[in-house]
Amino acid sequence: MDAWDPSYGSSFEGGEGGGDGPASASSAQVDVDVEVPAAEWAPIDASSAVRPPDVVFLVDGVRRNDAQLWTEEEDGTSYAGLAASYAAGVVRCDLARGVAELAGARVKRGLFTASPSVGDMRASSVLYEVHRVNGTGEASKLQAAVQPPLTALEIDISAEARSGGSDGADLLIVDGPLRNRRHLPRTIGYVKTQQKQYLPAAQQAVVPRLRHGQRTPVFGLGGGLLGGFSWYLRLPNSTGAPWSGVVRVECSPDLSPDQAIELAELSGVTLPRFASAAYKDPRAPQNLVPIAGLERRLRGMLGDARVLHRALALETARSRW
Amino acid sequence: MIDVSDETSPVGRVLGTADATPLQFWTAVAPGSYLQLDDVVVTQRDLPDREPVTIAGVVTQVRARHEGAQFDSDVFAIADGTLPAMVQEAAEITTTRVDPELYVPPAPGAIVHRATGEARDAALHFDRMERRVPMGTGRDGVPVFLNADFLDGTRGAHVSISGISGVATKTSFATFLLYSVFRSGQLGADGANARALIFNVKGEDLLFLDHPNTKLDENTTKAYALLGLPAAPFPDVRVYAPPRAGDSSGAPDVSSRLTGVDSFYWTLEEFCSLKLLPYVFADADDERQQYTMVVHSVTAHLNRYAVPAEGGVSIDGKRIGSYQELVDHVVEQLTEDETRSTWAGSAVNMGTVNAFARRLINSKRDLSRLIRGDLASRRPHQIKTAASAQVTVVDLHNLPDRAQRFVVGVTLKTEFEEKEKSGTGRPLLFVVLDELNKYAPREGSSPIKEVLLDIAERGRSLGVILIGAQQTASEVERRIVTNSAIRVVGRLDPAEASRPEYGFLPPAMRQRALLARPGTMFVNQPDIPVPLCVEFPFPAWATRKSESGPPPAETLRSIVQAADPFAVVGSGGGGSDDDIPF
Repeated sequence: MDAWDPSYGSSFEGGEGGGDGPASASSAQVDVDVEVPAAEWAPIDASSAVRPPDVVFLVDGVRRNDAQLWTEEEDGTSYAGLAASYAAGVVRCDLARGVAELAGARVKRGLFTASPSVGDMRASSVLYEVHRVNGTGEASKLQAAVQPPLTALEIDISAEARSGGSDGADLLIVDGPLRNRRHLPRTIGYVKTQQKQYLPAAQQAVVPRLRHGQRTPVFGLGGGLLGGFSWYLRLPNSTGAPWSGVVRVECSPDLSPDQAIELAELSGVTLPRFASAAYKDPRAPQNLVPIAGLERRLRGMLGDARVLHRALALETARSRW
Repeated sequence: MIDVSDETSPVGRVLGTADATPLQFWTAVAPGSYLQLDDVVVTQRDLPDREPVTIAGVVTQVRARHEGAQFDSDVFAIADGTLPAMVQEAAEITTTRVDPELYVPPAPGAIVHRATGEARDAALHFDRMERRVPMGTGRDGVPVFLNADFLDGTRGAHVSISGISGVATKTSFATFLLYSVFRSGQLGADGANARALIFNVKGEDLLFLDHPNTKLDENTTKAYALLGLPAAPFPDVRVYAPPRAGDSSGAPDVSSRLTGVDSFYWTLEEFCSLKLLPYVFADADDERQQYTMVVHSVTAHLNRYAVPAEGGVSIDGKRIGSYQELVDHVVEQLTEDETRSTWAGSAVNMGTVNAFARRLINSKRDLSRLIRGDLASRRPHQIKTAASAQVTVVDLHNLPDRAQRFVVGVTLKTEFEEKEKSGTGRPLLFVVLDELNKYAPREGSSPIKEVLLDIAERGRSLGVILIGAQQTASEVERRIVTNSAIRVVGRLDPAEASRPEYGFLPPAMRQRALLARPGTMFVNQPDIPVPLCVEFPFPAWATRKSESGPPPAETLRSIVQAADPFAVVGSGGGGSDDDIPF
């Protein structure tokens, strides 16, 4: 059985019959010979020689749609608008001291619309900054428009968190693929759901054989935003399903293969510690404990949805008169 | 108007996640600050078109929790450093004062300050007390006071102290309170002239009130100084003890205190003329019996026909020289058919008379040493606070139960009647009586209970203040407890603490009363809506022989010269200067 709550879908998007891992093949170029030759692929145990970093930063962002609205243009047409709140935060887990604290968090609210006439909107004490979307701005596309500002906020906040001083041995874990965050130093991207099959069949077969805490060798992904070094890791607390508890970790392509392997070793001793338990988190074990805690805090910081919705409703009703 | 300025020690803000009401609200404690139970805090609420309202209160509960944790086991992840969470403390504040009296809730988010100095006095209503009797320090180490108006009868009177025996230090608190009344000077001339009557019911603990305590250390002296009191024993104490059993000279029956003790007893003539016989039958179950009628007619008969004769009395021409003889005579007269009706009335059946006789004969053993026909009637032997010292201690501890009841009942009755006769409420008389549940039980009635009820209900105007102590207030006559303006609780029994008699304690305080250490009391006074937690200092007087210092000179003089004559001659100042050195 898959460990995730069915409402979250599956931790991998399998084909018919399941059990074969991610179904859709990726078009990306894969270099499986980075760490070991393709023929020698086998699960790799976490190295006992590697010490987990004392300080681990984890970055995540949350978003929520506060209201859907429509503008009223002078020519009588109307554009869709989306009022959304989004927040990003960093948890600083000081494993040596045993303290996990919110190292930084910021909440922003935006009004996403293609309407040329709308300005910033103030709903009671809250300001929604207008983000103009190019094109026709159908309501369905506005959802995606929230992501870039959120990612930008995540980058800002993670840089700020580290500005307090990095001891050179810390590790920054970003929830989701690295995408344009690859320039951050000592950073790994953490991908919970496996949708694409990157590896050739022979290497792919290694993944279900991973035991708790083991990882695959590092492989290189070529080209575009998805490029970089990557490896699969199986977290503890996973059930017996072939791909349960498997996450894909990636790091920047700007690193040398040796640096990538070093990060892979580091992730092997760090990530299992953060794995969540199934009875506490519907997306266990992939949804890491600090991330879950951070998301809860961030959602709390977004404010009460009903209060905001009411404020927006009042504001729009008032502006129509 | 309580002064609150923003600079003075903010400790947190009023919570918005729990209801803030005018009488109770929660405060989130700011990081780096703390609040403990009994701390006094103050906050302000701004109102449109009015002066701001100052709300002051005391902390009645404090809690700390992890915010951001969902499951109990999350604490391990938090302590491990993997789950971000915050420790947040919050304190429940029970309002003690709203100034001006406009009962609005504090606004969530309002800054809460720790109250010190005048703000603290105002929060606890000390500023409105014209005469404040110090009764110890609060948990913050600053003195707390008792409003003397509720002690001396001006607006209320009587103190009720409850708590488990041994750990609750009820008697110690009662004596400390007396000391504070006498020595603080807050009651002016009333305090100096006031008298105290203390019944010592167990051990000889109260017999050394005038002896300095050798275990008194510097800290205790400082604690007394903080309260504005000298750390000294009671200056003027007189101790009465019953005569030794079987001793014809009437020497007092005490073992540890040898000097300055007088014996007390009643002569047969007093017994008859003052109608003391009912106090022999002062058990609660005595009253339920049919023979009360007999008791009253025999009392009347003794009063009418007994005439004094050489120490003893003579009844119907027969000379009676001791209590035993009196009992024998009465029983004989009652059993004789011819005389029975003149003693007991005509409508009494034999069974009732026999029940009375049986009880009377039983009392011989207990009372014969207190009711005497062989000791001089002119020798001072009665307990009279007016003629005695400031503090009169009556030692009952080695008397049997029936004799204890007799002494307490007769003494209280005499004192109360004296007061009634004088018709003035001054000087004040404080009566300290332990085991009130024995003398004034909730069920039944007895002559002693009548006297105590009289004191509780009318004593306030006559200047008789009852300081009653008991293990369980639930077993004491309700009218006595409700008439007590000041209620004090020490360590309580868990089952007892849940009774309605302790309804004045908020739930958290009721729980704390189960853990109260010796020397910690919760005092409720009508002025202040929340009971105050009080720590009173260790006694400056000896509470047992082993810790008693040298006795005061006056008590020694009665037996032998206080000072070594040669030392006085040699040094010119060993004892007091007036002593003749031989």
